[in-house]
Amino acid sequence: MAFERFTRDARASVVAAREEARASGQHTVESAHLLLALAARPEFGLDRGRLADALAHEEEQSLAAVGVAAGDLEPGAGGRARREPRFATSSKLALQRAVAIAAKRGDRRLDAGHVLLGVLAAQHGRVPRALRIAGIDVEDLRARL
Amino acid sequence: MPMIAAPPTLPDDPADALAAVGALRRLADRVEDAAVERAIVDGWSWADIAEALGVTRQAVHKKHARRLQRAAIAREER
Repeated sequence: MAFERFTRDARASVVAAREEARASGQHTVESAHLLLALAARPEFGLDRGRLADALAHEEEQSLAAVGVAAGDLEPGAGGRARREPRFATSSKLALQRAVAIAAKRGDRRLDAGHVLLGVLAAQHGRVPRALRIAGIDVEDLRARL
Repeated sequence: MPMIAAPPTLPDDPADALAAVGALRRLADRVEDAAVERAIVDGWSWADIAEALGVTRQAVHKKHARRLQRAAIAREER
């Protein structure tokens, strides 16, 4: 399935994910940014702020596990963002999975719900860890999509 | 600034150990962004910054010049 099968909402989510990456000053668009972009949409009943907190908590925990306390490292006046953050492996994989899920269901169009399913399909990495911290029942959420 | 709170040890759970790698890479990126900016403010050349980081001048310039020029921290010239 090609990108032209993506609905306007699905495309908007991908664009918003890049904005999330840029706003957080990261050099790459990760699946976590897709998750935040999708959580900002009203239809999934997710709380973007809560997920952002969970992702921050996940990072703090992961650093603490190897003995690093991440203090405040404020970006300077130059900020941190590249002009165009690149899509990294985790976000590409989520989109590939969204395409596969839509194809498997026989859906002709790929909407934002498919993208969320693609993001939620990850068994490892920041997204499932942050969802766990946020206390979100992934199976329940998937069943509703 | 980030600091070592305890001697680094490998977490028992591979999931935690692997997550730490990702978190450290993101932290390293943030430290690099702040460090390069400070060096430019202090008058370092791109060549000196590149040598200190152990990368090519082209690499460090490509990664940082545009955002610092936009913030009027670095000059336009290469």
